[in-house]
Amino acid sequence: MKKRILALAVTVAMLAGSLAGTTALVSASEDGSTQGTNTFVDGGTDLSFWTFQELHVPFWTTMADVWNEQNPDRPINLTVTNGESHSTHSKLLIACQSGEGAPDMADIEIGYYGSFLKDGYLLPINEAVEPYKDDVVMSRITMYGDADGNYYGVDFHLGETVTYYNMEILEEAGVNPDDIVTWDDYFEAGQKVLEATGKPMTAVETSDLFLPQAMMLELGAQYVDEEGNPNLVTDEHAKVIEYIRSKLAEGTIEIAPGGGFHTEEWYGHLNAGDVASITMPLWYMGRFTDYCADLKGKIAIAEMPVWNEGDVRAVLQGGTGTSVIKGTENEELAKDFLAFAKLSAEGCTYEWNELGFDPIRTELWDDPALTENQDNKFIAYFQTNPFDILKKNGTDLTAPDISGQYAATYQTLVSTTYSNAFEFSVDQDVTELLQGEQDSIIF
Amino acid sequence: MKKQSFFRKFLYSQKVAPYVFIAPFVITFLVFFAYSIFSMVMMSFQKVAGAGTTFIGTENYRVLSNSIFQKSLKNSIFYTIVSCALMIPIPLVLAVMLNSKPMRAKSTFRSILFIPALTSVVVAGVVFRLMFGELEGSFMNQIIGMFGKAPIVWLRTPSTVWLVLFFVCLWRWTGVNMMYYLSGLQQIPADLYESASIDGASVMQQFRYITIPLLKPTIVYVLTISIFGGMAMFSESYMIFNGNKSPNNVGTTLVGFLYRMGFEQNNLGIASAVGVVFLLIVLVVNAIQLAINGTFSRKEN
Amino acid sequence: MARKNRTMTVLLLIFFLIVAAITLLPLALLAVSSLRPGSDLMRYGLNFSIDWNTANLNEYRMLFSGANNYFIWYRNSLIITVVQVALALFLSACVGYGFAMYDFKGKNLAFACVLLVMMVPTEVILLPLYRLITRMHLINNMWGIILPYLVVPMLVFFFRQYLSGIPKDFLDAARVDGCTEYGIFLRIMIPLMKPSFAAMGIYQGMSSWNNFLWPMIVTNSITKITLPVGLQSLLSPYGNNYDILIAGSCFAIIPILILFVLFQRYFIEGMTAGGVKG
Repeated sequence: MKKRILALAVTVAMLAGSLAGTTALVSASEDGSTQGTNTFVDGGTDLSFWTFQELHVPFWTTMADVWNEQNPDRPINLTVTNGESHSTHSKLLIACQSGEGAPDMADIEIGYYGSFLKDGYLLPINEAVEPYKDDVVMSRITMYGDADGNYYGVDFHLGETVTYYNMEILEEAGVNPDDIVTWDDYFEAGQKVLEATGKPMTAVETSDLFLPQAMMLELGAQYVDEEGNPNLVTDEHAKVIEYIRSKLAEGTIEIAPGGGFHTEEWYGHLNAGDVASITMPLWYMGRFTDYCADLKGKIAIAEMPVWNEGDVRAVLQGGTGTSVIKGTENEELAKDFLAFAKLSAEGCTYEWNELGFDPIRTELWDDPALTENQDNKFIAYFQTNPFDILKKNGTDLTAPDISGQYAATYQTLVSTTYSNAFEFSVDQDVTELLQGEQDSIIF
Repeated sequence: MKKQSFFRKFLYSQKVAPYVFIAPFVITFLVFFAYSIFSMVMMSFQKVAGAGTTFIGTENYRVLSNSIFQKSLKNSIFYTIVSCALMIPIPLVLAVMLNSKPMRAKSTFRSILFIPALTSVVVAGVVFRLMFGELEGSFMNQIIGMFGKAPIVWLRTPSTVWLVLFFVCLWRWTGVNMMYYLSGLQQIPADLYESASIDGASVMQQFRYITIPLLKPTIVYVLTISIFGGMAMFSESYMIFNGNKSPNNVGTTLVGFLYRMGFEQNNLGIASAVGVVFLLIVLVVNAIQLAINGTFSRKEN
Repeated sequence: MARKNRTMTVLLLIFFLIVAAITLLPLALLAVSSLRPGSDLMRYGLNFSIDWNTANLNEYRMLFSGANNYFIWYRNSLIITVVQVALALFLSACVGYGFAMYDFKGKNLAFACVLLVMMVPTEVILLPLYRLITRMHLINNMWGIILPYLVVPMLVFFFRQYLSGIPKDFLDAARVDGCTEYGIFLRIMIPLMKPSFAAMGIYQGMSSWNNFLWPMIVTNSITKITLPVGLQSLLSPYGNNYDILIAGSCFAIIPILILFVLFQRYFIEGMTAGGVKG
């Protein structure tokens, strides 16, 4: 009998739990943090949208509201569904392939983008981008394109790669980042840092590719060739790997704790001030503000070093391309809305203010409302102003080639190539290693 | 009216009833299992691309020579063998000890050892991932620190990766296997042991000559589920590495490879070929297992 | 002799206390960590060093605040588990009964199929099964998770084993009394099978509540996923949310733990009665 009562109690508790769940459902959709919709407009066209990043949901719903205000003749009702990254991408891919169940639009992470591009699941957006063409950095848009000059996606940000210096460590070692121009300068300074503080100058990932990719882009090299086939065995790639290996041996580079710049071990390490600098795109500012509260006011943003003085310095990395999926019934509307949301002053301003994304729209780089806004958490956090670097580097920017078999190549790079090159097989001949890696790519 | 009663009579007849009873199985078997196997075999000979699907013969099976595939196959086999070597004797010894006469508070310990099985692989993965974190303050690094050892990067060193995976396996499944053994042990008549000890047989001898032979069906059963659990291992690795992406594929298993091909890279043809190979391996292992098992039981008779 | 036994008892108890401590250790770590801020774990690692002065229930407060999807996942898991257990128990019992009590044409073939399904891990057919579910428009739907597992071969096998102990004359007697074939099953057999329902209910409840891979594949909307999938999604590369992850993991164990504690007697009896007979 006693057990019956207990069982009943458990059931009641569980039902209460489900009720709590129901209230949570309501509140969650009210603040739009999970599955979001814009303010409903009577007679608006329904558009469905998939994303994998919760922070993108309010961006899209807000932009839909702005769109509806400015285009009362073409209103939309946008439903944004947020899901876990891996599974959202694979589901999108399978939906595209079977031609059933795909949304009108979707955010696609750069590492996956190639898969969608190569099989023609996306619609070109050239015409929709046309009105904005002169105001934005086009290389960030054309990179989501093919050899025929069509482009299919727009990013949230420019993703310009910079170097973040921990000034406390550099000062202790007597290093001034303004003196650093080339990678050799950088690692000479790294020696000083190592001697003075025992800390490495920077770190390299084994489960991602940011540092080697940035170095390769500076050399003008890509991971895929012009036909889109994997092309890992290049002189430039070998040079970059050998360079990083030599610095690992010397101790000025370390393997990032956790293996990547998005792991909890790394954030703890970075926040504790155990590494002097890190080279990552500007969108990484958000990781500093979110995970490294102790470093506030200590980090300076500077240009990334180059191989030779006078080289083109600026490269773009990482990102998420938003695209219109083939099969949508509202092709024109979806394309126009996409271009508006990502490329208009309103959209880019939102992206900077809320998400800390460097604007793709160049006029904003000189807009004091953005650049001088001390209430902005990103401006307030860093010693130097990121817009200064954007202006200095200009718009001649090198973007990664993500066409053809890039997605499969990327998978291999981040799962085996760099962990082999830097951690497991550090003595293996570079060319031999890269050949083995290239052969293992399935496409 | 007459027709309906005929139908009713038909449906209620003793001949038809068993088919009605097993219908749920037959339907789900045909729809989900048989159809899936069929379409998988078909796809393994195709280049799957929506409307442009074409037959390409055995080209997808070239994946068999891919180094990553071979590595994941090796990983799965290694994991299966070692986990069987651990998961059969350890719970057996524990069960016998727990079942022994001098033992007290049997049911309490039995329940405690079973508790890990109640946790999701996700929860287990999170805890073990953090316990074996590479930070100096992570639990396992603190432990080895007490012995003056430097912190270890557990999850990016091939040997320690396996240590962690086997630890998770032992932790989650010891209690379950022990439960199977306990239920087997309870069916062994106690007077067998009594007469053996009167005859002067030592505890070890009793274990060797009474417990093991009489527990054989249970042992075979535990072996079977351990083999299939081992070959199908994926979620543990997925959780420990926070995704299907262990460094240098140290923890990539056959299912992980299949998942990568099918769900991450959308290479449906190749993924299906991997699935077919996987199916064949399972069937072969089964056949071997049944054959050995069969000879054993004949010997007994 | 008695003295020797007592030493044995003490030794055994010490041994099992150690084993039990090791078994409970990870869960204890989890419980202790849930009282610390999630950012601590990132900075210092998961360990037992806890400052009791700063320990608090903030993580749980956050969990219950409703500002996250945790209880949506909890509810999804609860509904799916209850529906799946109920359906799987009933249907598998039907099938097991059919196999145990009747002789019919094709019985051996059908039972071989049961064994086949039991022996092939579902992971093998993950991909075609997923495509099938897509075509049935059951993606992001709880039926997509449940349908392929309506009849669980392991349960069929178990029920067949359990029922084979009941003499068939029993059925004939019931027939003479005017019971229909289905009446026998519903009114006579189901009550007889109660203990095995308890055992298999826990077994199935455990696997449904903790199932990870298949729900992860079938659902993607953050409001449709189950608890394990939701917990896993907190570990996304876009910001680990350890605060509710740790507290949420603790809280996820509770319902199944309570069920186990309440019904463990039946569970163990049922396991023994059904038994594994090779």
